[in-house]
Amino acid sequence: MTGEPPWVRLDPRMLLVHPLDELRKFIVPLAAAALFGASQGGGPYVAILAIVVPIAIGVVRYLTTSYRIADGRVELRRGLLNRQRLSTPVDRVRTVDLTASLIHRVIGLTTVRIGTGGAGNDDGDLTLDGLTVEQGRTLRATLLTDQRPVTEETAVQSPAAARFEPGWLRFAPFTSAGLAILGGLVGGGGQLLSELDLQVDLPAEDLAGLAAVVVAVGLLLLVLVLTLVGYLVANWGFTLRRDGDTWQVSRGLLTTRETSIDVERLAGVAVAEPPGLRLARGARLTAIVTGLGSAQSGSRVLVPPAPAAVVRVAGGAVLGSDEPLVAPLTPHGAAAVRRRWVRALGPAALVAALPALLVMVGGPGWLLVITVLVLLAGAGLAVDRVRALGHAVVAGHFVARSGSLLRHREALAVSHVIGWSFRDTWFQRRAGLTTLAATTAGGSGKVEALDVPVREAVGVAAAVTPDLVAQFTAGEPVHS
Amino acid sequence: MTELRDPAHRVSPRARTLWRLQSGIGGAVVVLGLVVAAATWREYDGRWWVVLVAAVLAAAYAVVVPQWRFAVHRWEITDTAVYTQRGWWARERRIAPMSRVQTVDLAEGPLDRLFGLTTLTVTTASAAGPLRVEGLERGLALQLSQRLTRNAEDAGGDAT
Repeated sequence: MTGEPPWVRLDPRMLLVHPLDELRKFIVPLAAAALFGASQGGGPYVAILAIVVPIAIGVVRYLTTSYRIADGRVELRRGLLNRQRLSTPVDRVRTVDLTASLIHRVIGLTTVRIGTGGAGNDDGDLTLDGLTVEQGRTLRATLLTDQRPVTEETAVQSPAAARFEPGWLRFAPFTSAGLAILGGLVGGGGQLLSELDLQVDLPAEDLAGLAAVVVAVGLLLLVLVLTLVGYLVANWGFTLRRDGDTWQVSRGLLTTRETSIDVERLAGVAVAEPPGLRLARGARLTAIVTGLGSAQSGSRVLVPPAPAAVVRVAGGAVLGSDEPLVAPLTPHGAAAVRRRWVRALGPAALVAALPALLVMVGGPGWLLVITVLVLLAGAGLAVDRVRALGHAVVAGHFVARSGSLLRHREALAVSHVIGWSFRDTWFQRRAGLTTLAATTAGGSGKVEALDVPVREAVGVAAAVTPDLVAQFTAGEPVHS
Repeated sequence: MTELRDPAHRVSPRARTLWRLQSGIGGAVVVLGLVVAAATWREYDGRWWVVLVAAVLAAAYAVVVPQWRFAVHRWEITDTAVYTQRGWWARERRIAPMSRVQTVDLAEGPLDRLFGLTTLTVTTASAAGPLRVEGLERGLALQLSQRLTRNAEDAGGDAT
């Protein structure tokens, strides 16, 4: 490269997008002003202002924003009064997302977000709002491959590791979003019902009953439709494919979003199987990306709720071996099982004792049903949690699974383990158990195996990082 | 491969006194608050019993926990790794390779300074939290932080 590369403006078509955007932001105050202004008789000025101001802001923003790649840094400058100059080294770039809202898509533009995974929330992110899709893709290729020379054949687009199928829609009601909506509606619906009851108790008892049923069915249908629409909007056209040195996830019906994850920063994956999804034989796949915390969760989705088999295949493709996701796990033994039971039944017993006490002091006998139900729920939870417990070291990955309501199986590449933590309470120590965690620079910062027998835990850590752990195992302390 | 041994070194014995003072002050503040409440709010006859129980609990905490904490707290730094152990009821052992050390911090609160003690914090790239050694003598802590910084530099890489 000769001389300083010039500063480049964003795409001029942003002149169209910015005013529309500003208009959207100001729509409420503008409408209020227009109404107020009209009643005061100052109509034309307000209308002119409403058109001129957004356009002016858009033009200024277009004229004052420019970017360049120079000396191995991406630089962005923007602002008229408040001049801002953001710059980040290219080799710190961890993800490049292309997001296109509906407006952007209509005129063929995309927003490029360059993620550096800095500790500060979004401060580390450089956003270039408004490049052509072509420019965006080229920029992404430059940024993500600059770090290593790429051979030509890897540049050829490979077939997708996973691709959206309409049948996946059946998982929509089982996603956490679906359950949250359902919960909200049941809560709100209950209130609604009680109010309805008050109003319709005059005509006839059975009419009120009918109304309740109709409302309940209506609510259920509404939830179904909402979750389906939500799933479609977020995940329509989903594909996961390897492109050179990155994994690319693209999805979205209205706003399309293309996320790239640098292969070298992909520390591992997590398969999440909440109970709803498990019932429908579904699962979700996320990536553990070095330098990306769990806060930037949007960047980490590899496969949205989909058939478990598809998730395993995709995860296998990402990890380079499906062993970590399908291999049988080492169970944690009798002491760990006991601990799950005690921890599930203990709180349940406390809750269950209350109705039982009430019955003893003369409460109605049917309260005992609650006691039994709570205890059964606790037992169910314990059984499910026991079934989940397990860990393994297979195919160069540390694998751990736990949880019931939030069951997840995580596989972390051995080369991304940056330390260990053994955490145990007095009860755990007495049972000879410890919670083993491999720390890593991505995701929640660690992959945790709950209640592992102590010797087993040390064995696992030593198998994964022999040099590191061997010096601290029982024997002569090395004084230094 | 059997079990992990304890890290080689204890923290300064003065740390135990410091922790006693800290938990003593904390407990005294709570009990004092309760005394004031009991003196002003006269609805409940057994209120002085509550204060008494709280005072006994606070005293027990100030006696037992610092001792326990001191028995648990240990550290070791080798050429290739940092190994710490802390906590009391819940014990946490952390091992971090030298090549993953990002920053080394020394911190002293006002009470720490009174005792000449320092907290050494070793951060890695993991969001799971840093390794921490409390109650090190100031001179030793300085020496350790210099050694850690030098070793981490030698290990190279961007520590992720």
